Formats: sequence, structure tokens, C-alpha cells
Amino acid sequence: MALVGLLQGCKKGQLGDGAGTGSGERLSAFMKRCEDEVRLAVSEAHGRMDLVKVPMPKEMKGSLAGFSAGSAREASVNRFGMAIDLDLCNGCGKCILACNTENNVALVTDEEAARGRFMHWIDMRGGAPFMCAHCGDAPCEKVCPTGAANHTPDGISAMMYKRCTGSRFCGANCPAKARKFNFNDAQELGLVRKLNYDVPLREKGVMEKCSLCLHRLQNDRMRFKTEAAIAGSNAEWRGRGVKTACAEACPRNAIVFGNWLDPESPLVKAAQGRQLYAPRELAEHDPAVVFMMGKR
Amino acid sequence: MLNFLRFIGLLLLLPGLVALGYSVYQGPAAWAVDSSTFWGTPISLFVFWIGLAHAGTLLSAIFLALDIKMDKRTAMMAELSTLCSLAIAVIFPLMHLGVLDRFYMVLPLADARANFSNIRSPLVWDFCCIGVYGILSLLFFGTHLGAKTFSGLKKIRKPLAWLLFPLVLWVHTVVSLDFAASFVPEWAGAFFPVYFIVGAVYSGIALVCCILWFEGYRMRLLEKLLMISSWILCAIWLWNFAAQRTFCTSAFIFAGLLPQLYWVESIRETRIGRICIYLSVLLGLWLERLFLVSPNLGTTAGASFGWVDLGLIAFSAGAFILAFTSIRGGLGSAMEGESTFFGEVDSTDMATSADGSEEDEALDPADEKNYVEPWASHETRTLRFPLFVGFSVATFFCIWCAAQLNFDNIELSLANVIPLVYPIAALVAAFIVCGKAYVNEVRPNFGSVQLRHRKVMHVVAVLLLIMFGSLLGAFYAGGKSAPSNQEVAAQPYNFENTEGDLIGDADSSAQEISAPRAALIWNSRCATCHGTDGKFNEKFIREYYPVPQKLDSARIDSIGVDSLVNVILNGRANMNAYGNRLSGSEARGLVRYMQQLAKEAK
Amino acid sequence: MTPFVNALACLLCLASAMFLWRYKSSFYRNSLLLVGFMIIFGVFTFFGGEMFEAGSIPMLEHYPFKMLALSLCFSTTSLAVRRRRYMVLAQVFWLWIELFGGISLFYRGFDIAWTRIIAIAGIAFFSSLLSKISKEMEFCLMVFWIAVWIFF
Repeated sequence: MALVGLLQGCKKGQLGDGAGTGSGERLSAFMKRCEDEVRLAVSEAHGRMDLVKVPMPKEMKGSLAGFSAGSAREASVNRFGMAIDLDLCNGCGKCILACNTENNVALVTDEEAARGRFMHWIDMRGGAPFMCAHCGDAPCEKVCPTGAANHTPDGISAMMYKRCTGSRFCGANCPAKARKFNFNDAQELGLVRKLNYDVPLREKGVMEKCSLCLHRLQNDRMRFKTEAAIAGSNAEWRGRGVKTACAEACPRNAIVFGNWLDPESPLVKAAQGRQLYAPRELAEHDPAVVFMMGKR
Repeated sequence: MLNFLRFIGLLLLLPGLVALGYSVYQGPAAWAVDSSTFWGTPISLFVFWIGLAHAGTLLSAIFLALDIKMDKRTAMMAELSTLCSLAIAVIFPLMHLGVLDRFYMVLPLADARANFSNIRSPLVWDFCCIGVYGILSLLFFGTHLGAKTFSGLKKIRKPLAWLLFPLVLWVHTVVSLDFAASFVPEWAGAFFPVYFIVGAVYSGIALVCCILWFEGYRMRLLEKLLMISSWILCAIWLWNFAAQRTFCTSAFIFAGLLPQLYWVESIRETRIGRICIYLSVLLGLWLERLFLVSPNLGTTAGASFGWVDLGLIAFSAGAFILAFTSIRGGLGSAMEGESTFFGEVDSTDMATSADGSEEDEALDPADEKNYVEPWASHETRTLRFPLFVGFSVATFFCIWCAAQLNFDNIELSLANVIPLVYPIAALVAAFIVCGKAYVNEVRPNFGSVQLRHRKVMHVVAVLLLIMFGSLLGAFYAGGKSAPSNQEVAAQPYNFENTEGDLIGDADSSAQEISAPRAALIWNSRCATCHGTDGKFNEKFIREYYPVPQKLDSARIDSIGVDSLVNVILNGRANMNAYGNRLSGSEARGLVRYMQQLAKEAK
Repeated sequence: MTPFVNALACLLCLASAMFLWRYKSSFYRNSLLLVGFMIIFGVFTFFGGEMFEAGSIPMLEHYPFKMLALSLCFSTTSLAVRRRRYMVLAQVFWLWIELFGGISLFYRGFDIAWTRIIAIAGIAFFSSLLSKISKEMEFCLMVFWIAVWIFF
């Protein structure tokens, strides 16, 4: 066993050594394939969302309350999330393409595409984008045997790819089926390019899903903390000014990203006075990604 | 007969091995995976075989505990079938994993990097329960075999049986919780523990009946139990239908209706008729497990059954037949008692019928005439004391779990750890019981054992030690024993004095940024892996990445600044590219800072 | 499920327990009776708990099995031999259904009835220490079970 561990450690290049430059295919051709796949996924989208009314997301219930005194980390003042305005969204699917290129989401083989088994972190459901809702009381995290699916103090349901054994229990337990499994070795099949160096490529056999563009948040946090250290200020990082790739790409600004606990956040401002909805199966799990429709 | 069975086993196993090899190589894409549950054939096979693995303990241990008489040969057959099907059952959840070599991360023991599995997950309970069940079944089988040489071992069979009795039910309950504790609508059932156990008992009895059929005799008691379990299972299916509106018709036909042909005398009394009934039960229950694990099977979005799935089924059946027949052939008459039965056997009736079979003196102190103090009784010494120790260990384990780093931020409720309590208690108690028996019975009489047997025992002991060692190796895995305590300093320099330098001109790449700024960038960007002092953040890198290069000034000097800047900006092997997060001048500054760190480290 | 229906269920268990383990009754008869009771309890829960309504409570999923366990508990008081052992086993069966049913519901967001589980565990443990079970003790046990069923 130790030997296996050792050999595994010696293997190099797992995280995409030179991916994106090595294959002979031209970048524009690859991008064309990405676009075609997104178009196919949008045209084949099925399934409806059964929406129910939910209140505005607040601090996470229960589980992460312990990030306070006693714990080494400071109490969290952030809970990131999104709201998707169904009055504005027309289901164009631009968010899916933006997400795929931002997060190096792999393409799938033809037979999997025929089955509707895409790797996209955003699905079209009932004509609107649907992604992991980053539930505060997430069912997937409860059943992950190794703790690879876990919450960050900022309210993001994160995946630790290096700790995932691929038991797929989280995928089974997600009431909304927002998780995707890497059935293929995408790098070997040439189905993925490292378009964005901030996001690691996922190996075969691990689960993945929307990360709320965690890398953007981390970059912003580091920039903020470095600047705060230089300025000698004690300011709290609230993730202001960060936008996810899908929110940035939306031509009608229907996707709003922000911090639910920050009254200054564009998200809170946009959700003020609006009626919020969540899919029925998720409503009880305290979702951080919700839908807006009509006035309250 | 044995040779014929071996031939059949090989015939099934060889193509099965191809399918197994292919699916390990190809990963979960190889077999039919349900679109909504992500699970497929391996898990159905696992549930099926773990169910079959209950027959032996059920028939042998529970009958022994409840004083239902059973001849040695049948009991040994049942115990052996348990061991074989258990060995096959554990293959499937392992091969079903996406990343096979990380399976040990599921064990709830802190590894060398102080990582701890998520003990709230039913899969972790599963892993532990099955492990403990395997060890205890082996001990039980071993004591039964060894009782021929060391008669003293007979005394501990009953305490062991009482330990195994709840354990066997516990194991399958935990398997059922894999399903019942989830949000999949088809798996919503607080009654699943009962449901699964009845199914397991039913299939297990059918398997033992099959084995006895091949041995050339039958047991009416088992057939009776088989029929009764079929009725109970039908009633549970009805309830399942009422609660969830799903019904597996094929399972109902094969395992519910067809076995009722037993009541036709001409079928019951012919050998062909009987084996058909047993096989129909096994088939029906396999279909039921498949239906349960992949509810979307057959629908358009669902899984499609291919050659790999069939191959996996063939592998499991072939491996079982081969393993069983070779061990059976190898042990030969050691598995049989004084009397060998052929034809029809009906040695006993259920103890629940009021015939008042003789009381067992060993474990029943509840005799009114000679009253024994509760704490001094035989029962207390042989069973309650080891169990008490076991439960104490389990309690300590739970407290230790709650103190783990993971659960600083996650609430760990009692319900999350309770499923682990009994397996741990049973393991400890069984070790105490067997250890005592070893010291008192086996060691003093060891000289009387034949040399050949002694050699076998030594080989087994060495094998066990090797297994234990390799398990420890997985936990060590080259790691350091203590997690890193390094704190990343946010303000390493006195800013008042260096104010002017800090916001330098970062745009021109030829220029270098100031040392304090480089230090800040190092601490925020690089220290996560490389450590603030350049000596690695051990816990993080060992767990998530292969170990990076050591900071060594000779090495750094030999590589040269330009190529290091290139590595920082474009990445290399497991080093991520920072080109879009750092400017060229910042990278240059970082290299300078690295050189400084390397010098300081000397 | 209303408290009245719950109490009615308890009565039903008591009534059904009278038919089990009669002197010289055959193995098949007893098990057929058990299966029959299971179906009756299922039908009772389905209609008494109004499970045909769409948003029925998952708490009822293991209700018929709880009833079966209670009925088995009651029935052990009339056993001729090995009363203590089977009494403990029947109570452990009940405990097991409550505990693991509770755990599976806990993962789906419902609270576990700890008082009930602890009460059953306690009485099962102490009745395993009883060396002689008198008529009075039997009565006490039955009253206790009914109390656990209705009030806890």
C-alpha cells in the first residue's frame, strides 16, 4: 500500500502538464467544439424546475456556526451566492459556455452526449440556468466518506479533488442532481484544454460541480489581504467587486453574484423587494443560489 | 460433483475476470451506471453478496445462540459460504470507486497527515462494519475448525455466537442505511433495515439450500424458513409499494410467486424441482437489488446493461463457486462431524415451539434453584465483561472522533456515530474472548498439534502481520506525523520604514519589486505549499500534491533566474501557472526572495 | 397521525398478540399469522395515517414494523419457556426499528425520538437481568410498553 502511495506520488503531470499546448488541435477549433456542445446541451435540455418560495438566505444554519470563538479561524462574515432573475433570463446558454471555458470543464464523448450526460456545471432546466445551490445544510457533504465535499467558511460547498475517491454517494444524495462525475480521462482523450490556468484540471474518477468561481474569490482575497497588510488596515474582506464567469457573461445581467451577508453587495440590493424561489427539492436545505421572479 | 462445479466456476470466472479487469481499467464508464444515482451493477452485486454472506452466521451463530440444534456439516458449509461470499462482496464497492487507490481514506482512523474520514457518512460505517464482520466470521469459523484439536475452544463458540448475532443484523442494517439515509426518492424508507435483512436472510437460506443440494442432502427446516421468508418479503414489498409506489414485478415473480411451487409435491420431492426453486429465489433477489440500486434502468435516460455487467455477474458467481469448492475440497472431512448425512435431514424444530428442549448450562444462570450473583456469574465473565470493555472502547472512540479537526466546524451528532458503536464493541469483545481462550486452551496444548498444522498456523500468523503492516503503510504513506503549525505572517516587516518601496513600479518586467513586497506575495501565494520559510507546508502538500523540490541555494543558482521566473509564470508539473496573477517583475522578486530564503535555511 | 389512532394501534397490537405462540400451534401457523398481521398493520397505517395523501409524513414509513415489534413484545409474556430471552429479543427488535428508522430519518431532516429509544433500551437491559418474571412483573412491563408507545 505504501508502495502504491509512493508510485502514485512519483507520477507526474497529473494536473495538466503542458495541457493546452501539447495537442495539435488549434484553439479556435477546440472553442468551436465547446460552442457546439453547449448548443447541443441547450437544445436537448429537458426537465422542469418546480419552484417554491424561499426567504432571503442568511448565515448558514447550524453546521458552520462553530467558526467562532475557540476555533482558530475568525467568524465568517461572508456567504457567497447568486440570484438568477427569471424575468430577465431568456435561456440563451451563454453562461454555460463562459463557465466551461472559465473552469476548464471537459467535453464529453459523442455517445455520452447522446445520453445527455454532459460535464457542464450549469444545466438548462425549464429554460433557466441551474447549478449547484451551495446549500447551507448540504446533503452531499453529509454522505461524502472522505470529507472531500466540504464547506468553506465563506459558505461555498467546495470539492477537494485530491481527496475524492469517487464513491459517487454525493451525486446520488444531491436532491437536484447538480453534481457531475468524470467518467472519462478527458486529458487523454483530448477533451479538455487548460484554458484557464487558475483552475486545475480534474482527473478521471472524481466528482465536480459549480465552485462559485472559487479561484476568483481566492485571488481577490489574496489581493485584498496583501493590500490591507500594506495599508495597515484591519478591514474585513467581503468579496466586493468579484463576479462569477456566468454572471459576467450574461448579456441581460440576469445572474447576480454577491455576498448574502453584506448589505452593500449587488446581490442583496438586487434581491431586495423581489420574491425569491428555489427548486422544491432544495428549498429545505438552505440554498445560497436562488431564483428571483416578480415583486414581493 | 466437486470437479464439475469447479469446471463451471472456471467457465464463469475467466470471462468474468476479463470484465473485471476492463472495468478497473476503464473506470465507472465501463458498466451500466444509473443516471440519477450514479450507482450500478457493482453496488447491486455488493448488496446481493453481502446478503448471501449472512446465511452462514445466521444459521450457525444464531441457531447456536438460540439453542437450535444443527449438525456440524451444515453449519460448517454455511459458515464457509459466508466467508466466501463476504470476500466477493468486498471486491465490488472497491472496484466501483472512481479513484481506486484512495480507498483507505474511508477508514475512520487519522492518518499520518491527521486527515480523518467523514464519519457521518454511511459508507464509512459500511467499511467498518464489513471489516469487523469479516474478522469475526473468520474467528468463528476458525474456532469451529480448531475445536477438533483443542476441545477447550468449544466453550467460546457460544459467546462468539452471541456477539455475531447482533453484528450480522447490524451489518446489513448499515448497508440498508446507505440507501435509507439518502435523498433519492426511491430509497426513502425508514423500514429499509427490516426489508434488507429479510431479503438477505431469504437469499442466504436459498444459497445454503443450493449448497446442501450439491452435497446431496436437504434440510426441511431450511426449506420451511425459506418459504416463510418468501411470505414476509412479499408483505414488505406490498408495504414498499404503498409507501413509494414502486414495485419490482420480475422480483415478485421469481422470488415471490415461483417459490410457492414448493407446495406442489411433485416439484418439492424431485431434485430438479428443488434446485429450480432455489435458483429462482436467487435470481429474483438479484433482480430486486438491481432494481433498487438503479431505479432508472431501462428508461431512456437510464443505464443500459452491457457485456461488462454480465461479466461482473459471471465473475462473482464463478469466483464464489471456485473459492467454495476448493476450500471445501481442501478441508475435506474436517468440515464434517461424526455422522454424515445423506438424503433427507430434519434434526430439529424451532425452539420457539413449546417443546422445551434442554437448558444450556453454560450461558443461562437464570436457574431459580442455584441463584448466582449477577456480577459473578459465568455469563458475566464470559460475555458481559468483554462486551463492557468493548463498549467502553467504542465510547472512547466516539469521543476521540468528536475531537478530530474535521468536526471543529461540523456538528457531530450522536446519530452519526451510533452505527459504529456495536462493531467496535464486538471487535474488542471478540478479541478478549478469543485471547482468553488462546491463553487458557490453545497455548498449553500447542505441543500436541501435528507439525503440519503448526506450520499452517505460522503461515496464517505471518500473513495477518503483513496485512496489518500494509494497512499501517497506507496510513503513513510517506507522511509526517504532525501537521504543520506554521502560521502565515501577514506583516513580516516594519512598514513604517519601507513605505516608499512597497508600491513600486510593478509594470515593467525587467525591474524587480522590493523585498518586502516579494515577501508579502510569497506569504499569500506560495506559502500554502512551500511554507513561509520555504520548508513546505507538510500537511497540505502531502495530502493534495506530490512533494515539491526542496529549496536549495546550489540548485536555485544552477537553474538560473530566468528559468525560475518561467516556472512561476507558466507552471511546471504540479506547480500551477501564475502568469495571469503575477507580473514578471513580481516573479523576479519572488525568485530573489527564494534565494534569500534558501541562504537563510542553511 | 392523531393520538387517538396511535392508541388504537396499540390496542390492535395487544389484540393480535393473543393469537401468537399458542400451545402446540405449528411453525407455519405462527409465521402466517405474523405475515397477516404485517399486512393488517400496513393497511391500518396506510389509512389511519392517511398515507394516500401526497404529502404524507415519512415518519409513518416504519410504523407498521413498530407495531409488529410491539405486538411481539406483548406476545412474549405468554411464552411457556425461555420467556426472558425472547422478551429481551423482542424489545431489542423494537429498539432496532426505532433506532435505525430514526437515524435514516435524521439524515432526511427529522429529529430522533431519543427519550423513546432510551426508555426501550433501558427496559430491555433491565429485563435481561431479571431472573424470574412474575405475573406482576409481566403486567408492569406491559404497562411500561404501552406508556412508551403512547406518551414518549
